[in-house]
Amino acid sequence: MFTDFDLFNFFRSWLGWVVAIYCSIVTARWLWDLLGYVRSTDRTIAMVRRYVAVQLLRIRWRGFWYDLLICVLLTVAFFLLWHAQNVMDEIEAALRHVASVHASAAGARQ
Amino acid sequence: MSTLDASSSRESPAPRPAGSLHQLSQDELEDLARSLGLDPSPFRPRERLEAAVNERRHLISAMQIDAMLDVIKWGRRPVAPGLSREQLASEIVQIRSMRFEGLSERGLVVLAFLRGTDVKEGDNAASLLKKLRKQEGLLGWFARKRRQWMGRLVSNMLGETEAPAPESPPSSPSGALPPPGEPAAPPNGAGPSIQEEIEESGLFGGIASRLRRSADVYVNQKLDEIEARIDRKLDEIDRRLGEWRDKEVSNRLKILKITLWASVIVAAVSLIISWIRVAMQTAGK
Repeated sequence: MFTDFDLFNFFRSWLGWVVAIYCSIVTARWLWDLLGYVRSTDRTIAMVRRYVAVQLLRIRWRGFWYDLLICVLLTVAFFLLWHAQNVMDEIEAALRHVASVHASAAGARQ
Repeated sequence: MSTLDASSSRESPAPRPAGSLHQLSQDELEDLARSLGLDPSPFRPRERLEAAVNERRHLISAMQIDAMLDVIKWGRRPVAPGLSREQLASEIVQIRSMRFEGLSERGLVVLAFLRGTDVKEGDNAASLLKKLRKQEGLLGWFARKRRQWMGRLVSNMLGETEAPAPESPPSSPSGALPPPGEPAAPPNGAGPSIQEEIEESGLFGGIASRLRRSADVYVNQKLDEIEARIDRKLDEIDRRLGEWRDKEVSNRLKILKITLWASVIVAAVSLIISWIRVAMQTAGK
């Protein structure tokens, strides 16, 4: 069992889980605070809300549509590679399983 | 007179209800009477003054707002929009001008009522003008002529070339003033001359009024300049904020792009290592 243990994989998955949970909590709290602030009926906050909405609508997308497209393509490529990695892991596990079956069969013959 | 609107008396409540006149001190009551164009001295005892104030309020509440605004415009009184009839009336009673050119007939009726002239049902503009001048009296006429002479003197000293307007000429050959409903245009365009101001308010009052008006014009001009400068600055801030926003979004996207490139490269290297490992296992078999 311990022969299958990979320290690098363990570290990677552990780091992934910790970072994902931390980022989710921080982002959710930030969003919640922001929503509470923006939903206020105060006149000045309403003005800020309108101002932010106007600023968002006035973003000039023509300046960075290329970067945005690259980001989308890279995200797609990343998920494809992830899927390929999973397939490769399954093949490796299957090969290892076949090798162990062959080894046990050879031991039984001897 | 059509200038008095019987139904409108219910629309505009007086600032102080009639019953509360009892609560006023004698000085306050007299001030109120003066502000409504009443001379309080002949009304003795107090109850007569209260009755006169109530009667004047009733009269004011029946006046047409448009007619009162005609007088305000003719008298060049700076008033805020949305004033009540009583507030307009207290502005009108401060107008002492006897130059009636440019005043509409309905405005003339309002002015005659508020100056305490005996206005009758069939009075036209000419008869109202006659009554108003007659009401001024000989002493008042002399005082006004003296102020007019003084005003002309000051005007000549200051070098104002504006010709003095003839005294109270009717605006039409028949002696009739502009028809009711027509806005009263100021007779001399921008504002009264120093001569007119001295004639209306006396030497010091006229000069003070002119100085105040000049100061107002200067302050308004400066305020306009400051406002324009603030507007320019706000536009500049808005433009810079827009540039900063676009730059910020662009930078964030670049950071995201770099992160995604790094992730894709690491994933590709990891895939290649796995492929090599699988290939070596297959070859070893």
